[in-house]
Amino acid sequence: MRVLACSRIIAAAGALCLCSAAVVAQEAPRLRTTNAPPKPSGVTPRAAGGHPDLTGVWNALGDNLNGVPNQIANNGVVIESDTSARDLKSGLAIAVFPRNTNRVLNEEQAERAASLLRRSGSNRPVYKPEHWEMIKNFDHNSNEEDPSNNCMPAGIPRGGIPSYIGQFPNYVIFIYPGQGGLIATQTMYRMIPTDGRRHTPLQELDGSYTGEGIGHWEGDTLVVDSWGFTPNTWFDQIGGYAHGENMHVVERFRREGNTLTWTATVEDPDYLLEPWTTTPRVALLNPRADAVLPESLPCSERDLSHIVTKEHH
Amino acid sequence: MSRFRIAALLTISFTALAAAGVSAHHSIQAQFDINKSFTIAGSVAKVEWINPHSYLTLNVKADDGKVEKWAFEMGAAGQLRRTGLSRADRGGLKAGDAVTIKALAARDGSNSGLLQEITTADGRVFKLRPDGTEAQ
Repeated sequence: MRVLACSRIIAAAGALCLCSAAVVAQEAPRLRTTNAPPKPSGVTPRAAGGHPDLTGVWNALGDNLNGVPNQIANNGVVIESDTSARDLKSGLAIAVFPRNTNRVLNEEQAERAASLLRRSGSNRPVYKPEHWEMIKNFDHNSNEEDPSNNCMPAGIPRGGIPSYIGQFPNYVIFIYPGQGGLIATQTMYRMIPTDGRRHTPLQELDGSYTGEGIGHWEGDTLVVDSWGFTPNTWFDQIGGYAHGENMHVVERFRREGNTLTWTATVEDPDYLLEPWTTTPRVALLNPRADAVLPESLPCSERDLSHIVTKEHH
Repeated sequence: MSRFRIAALLTISFTALAAAGVSAHHSIQAQFDINKSFTIAGSVAKVEWINPHSYLTLNVKADDGKVEKWAFEMGAAGQLRRTGLSRADRGGLKAGDAVTIKALAARDGSNSGLLQEITTADGRVFKLRPDGTEAQ
């Protein structure tokens, strides 16, 4: 049995705005009506060692949804068109019925529809039974409990695809700008050695938000193996998906032309019954060769003390 | 694969919603009454471009002459820029500007709201979000 088992019937009357915000520096966002992964184009540049060169600003129109890296895709729902959505893990279509009115929905209806859609994906971590009650309570009280709701780092794997990657012979640099919009996080950065070193023994590490990441290449795929995490992060905004300090995350980055595909596999011997692999996300390279990553706005959360209900995304 | 079966009935229109929707890190209706807007006049104390939401702080003179602070939630940087709320010398606001603000009321009764529209003393109007009052 799965915690928060697959939706049986979800009835949502609403509208969903798929727009990508602030994705290309200084350019107005374009409205999107699909979150289907973009198709790669162009050549894949190679670094001196022969591996693909991942260097670049990876924030162009990719899988962003409302400015947040595709959290619907994280649970595995792809929106294919105005009237077509699909669960990626099962491959099954999600029944979609067009509204019988053209009236613009108010925000209450729209938010609830979007939240239900995000919850309809079946790709979810499977928790050990002793944690079901806690996870359920986290989800129910997410406004207070979500550790990233109050300007703390999203952590790994919730951080998803970094917006900037700098690839050097013996290490890579990842930068994750702090986010507003659907979540409230502060900037994260990682300096990940790829020089063949081994992990520090887990028991010698203080838990941190991005853990100790060590990179290596498997063919054309950059594999980042991380452990040594603080338990104060979740996997997503919905679900209350917490983890323990023995979490082990393996991320895979594969560049094809102007696309970068990312997955993360999470093992947690204390919390999960089996490893959980995120739905792949695909980011696009910023099309401007001179693109720079703009400064993140500082994060200062002022709303949660005024929340009067438990409703959340 | 029956455990993955999804029988979801989604009534979806992907195109109709204004850009302001579905963008708060909290649920909008958990904090604001989308059916109750109000108007208040005062002078701008500060405009802060911050995550997860930018904020405008307003000095409002109460009936007894005391100045109260009101806090108004706004959108992300892109929305503010498109609306024109940037540098004062490009037509944006500056501290001390007299403004009238229309906002959705905070459900907890605090001196705060979700900013919909700003009108300056010289007639400039900044529209940040739709009315949000078309509830069915």
